[in-house]
Amino acid sequence: MERIPFLSGNEAIARGAVRAGLGFACGYPGTPSTEIVEELAGIEGPIVEWCINEKVALETGIGASLAGARALVTMKHVGLNVAADPFMTLALTGVNAGLVVVSADDPGMHSSQNEQGNRHFAAFARVPMLEPSDSQEAYDFVAWAFDLSEEFDTPVLLRSTTRVSHGRGRVVPRAPVRVEAAAYAKDIAKYVMVPEYARERNRLALARLERLRRRAEESPLNVLEAGTTDIGIISSGVAYTYAREAFPKAWFLKLGMSHPLPYRKIAKLYHSVSRVFVVEELDPFLEGQVRALGLPVVGKEVIPSNGELNQEIVFDALEPVLKRRPPRRKRPVFPPPPIIAPAPAPVDDLPVRPPVLCPGCPHRAVYAMLRREKVAVMGDIGCYTLGALPPLLSLESCVCMGASIGMMAGMNRMMGRAAAVAVLGDSTFFHSGITSLIDARYNETPGLVIVLDNRTTAMTGHQGHPGTGLHADRSNGPAIDIAQLCQGIGVPVTTIDAFDEPAVKKAIREALAGRELRVLVTLAPCILLDRSPHERVVVDDERCNLCGLCIDLGCPAVVAGSESIEILSDCTGCGVCLAVCARGALSLPAAADERGARS
Amino acid sequence: MNGVATVSLAGVGGQGIILAAAIVAQAAMAAGFDVKTSEVKGMAQRGGSVVSTVRYGKQVWSPVSPRADVVIATETLEGRRALDLLADKGTLVYATTVIAPGSVLRGERAYPGDLPEVARARQIRIIAIDAEALAREAGSVRAANVALLGAATHALPFGSAAWERALELAVPARILELNRQAFALGREAGARKEEGL
Repeated sequence: MERIPFLSGNEAIARGAVRAGLGFACGYPGTPSTEIVEELAGIEGPIVEWCINEKVALETGIGASLAGARALVTMKHVGLNVAADPFMTLALTGVNAGLVVVSADDPGMHSSQNEQGNRHFAAFARVPMLEPSDSQEAYDFVAWAFDLSEEFDTPVLLRSTTRVSHGRGRVVPRAPVRVEAAAYAKDIAKYVMVPEYARERNRLALARLERLRRRAEESPLNVLEAGTTDIGIISSGVAYTYAREAFPKAWFLKLGMSHPLPYRKIAKLYHSVSRVFVVEELDPFLEGQVRALGLPVVGKEVIPSNGELNQEIVFDALEPVLKRRPPRRKRPVFPPPPIIAPAPAPVDDLPVRPPVLCPGCPHRAVYAMLRREKVAVMGDIGCYTLGALPPLLSLESCVCMGASIGMMAGMNRMMGRAAAVAVLGDSTFFHSGITSLIDARYNETPGLVIVLDNRTTAMTGHQGHPGTGLHADRSNGPAIDIAQLCQGIGVPVTTIDAFDEPAVKKAIREALAGRELRVLVTLAPCILLDRSPHERVVVDDERCNLCGLCIDLGCPAVVAGSESIEILSDCTGCGVCLAVCARGALSLPAAADERGARS
Repeated sequence: MNGVATVSLAGVGGQGIILAAAIVAQAAMAAGFDVKTSEVKGMAQRGGSVVSTVRYGKQVWSPVSPRADVVIATETLEGRRALDLLADKGTLVYATTVIAPGSVLRGERAYPGDLPEVARARQIRIIAIDAEALAREAGSVRAANVALLGAATHALPFGSAAWERALELAVPARILELNRQAFALGREAGARKEEGL
């Protein structure tokens, strides 16, 4: 007979993930989660990395998922605080290939600064959560988690605790799962969470939660186990094992999928017994929801809300309650599904007016070149996110501040080349781009990071940041140089005037051809800070054939006239449209004079 | 609603809607009303449609309202759009400024020209002025928002002193004189438009 492996929960999660066709795994070490990545690093097949922190790890995992790889991202409970920014919005974008986030919680704080119960994060982000109670389940649940992730287009939280992660048990291996390849497809409305698209994804996420609840009702992970006494216990995770030993004859509703809750299965338990307990560690996460159904339940009134439980604590807490008279039976009241407000229809079918990049915005100059390259453009948060909207359509992800570089790294790690570039602003670079850049360097990821340096935090109204040195009171402090910073971490960096089209184009092409990590800083101050007088672009009506190439730049100063292009008074003469005009119909007055003088 | 009046200020991000709303709010306070305002900033600022709200009355609770008694629009299409907010027989004060949105620039959509008909059909009182021309006359096209407020004085129950106080409080000192000028020109133009009705 084949020897049955005796595994820790963490080893089981690792092997369960490999069995489920894992392509990429990463995390930041943190007790009790660390051994998952350590175990995976020793297994042939998936790409496995330690990341600089949990936020960057999750962003890198998202990139890998987009590239088509099933991705596992591991962290301890407090690590999810660091990764909460991408986590909360990933819940809206959803995934491409399956993405599972492991949160290993530490009730009792054996090795932690707090004992926050991360089950709240599943409810907070409205994503499904699986809670294994031992090593075998840890192994089995990973495949379930990946399937749920792909079927429902959502990240899945796999929540473990110290006694699951660091407990050991025998794990019967299962047949490997066949995974369909999931190629990346650009989908701006799904992956770029600007308000307009995020509102729609939010509606979908709300509706998805109700579909997941129906799945939880049917799921074999949520088992109603018949007992022989008039006691019912609702439990999940390792707490279930304690309750099982304390009350071996009780009925159990064992929740492997503990969010969203299967209300009807809970009601079924109440049909079978007259007395129901909820046994769970830390906060009354399940209990509160059972109470909300109007059902009588005993839990945290006798079971401690802090520290770990064990079978004795559970028995001693609940046994005296059995002497009480059983509560009166009550009918559950199922909460109605949430009302989801629809998108308001455009008023009287008037043309909508989405926000746009200003005339003379240096970001437009970079997008004008970038959109001709065959690369995925991972974006970030700032004015430049507007490059995702028509007609530019040049930016294809926006998850949270600083996510662009990690997502690029995840994609490129899986593709083995610079298939994606990252685009972020100077202020965003300082906010949280630096950490991801260090991570990409450390993990030897190929790619191009373009810092659109407009010398300010433009979108919010031109605040200062460490790159400008401008303080909140408008006084000047030290300005940190982005190029020096990149050099300091060993990343080659080029700084170019954002409007120097040939130079920017050359730098992009060179970087994309290479296999190393590079930074390109495209420098030009925000046009709103530049109060100098501007000259306006002039149209040669004879040459212009209204082909629309310049209009396709989305500049509010360029209008389609009846015979030729018209340039409005807010033109700043930035000249980006000159470069795209195939017929030389556009010029700046100074240049036009020169041409006149030559002829 | 309940003796509370709502003024919605609509325009294109960058046209000075927020300052205009601040002036209306100050004028309402100077006239002795309780006032609440609400505005949307950030991404919407960059050339998108923006709406700020000023509500005044004896006591105001909510800072927003889906229904306005007066709409002040710094751009024609945004004024047309804001008719949706305006109660029947309400007043629309708008600038004849035209800023084409992207779909119109690209020739995909036509700039709507039906504002007067739609307003007339709903018995909406209209005060329309060329605010940009008046602002230029006063010294800077950027004061078009304040010129428009001059015209809006004919739709709001605040006295001259209240408006004067509001300008002093809300407009930076170095451009106050220019804005006073624009305001006066707008007020004059608005009065003429009223006579014409």
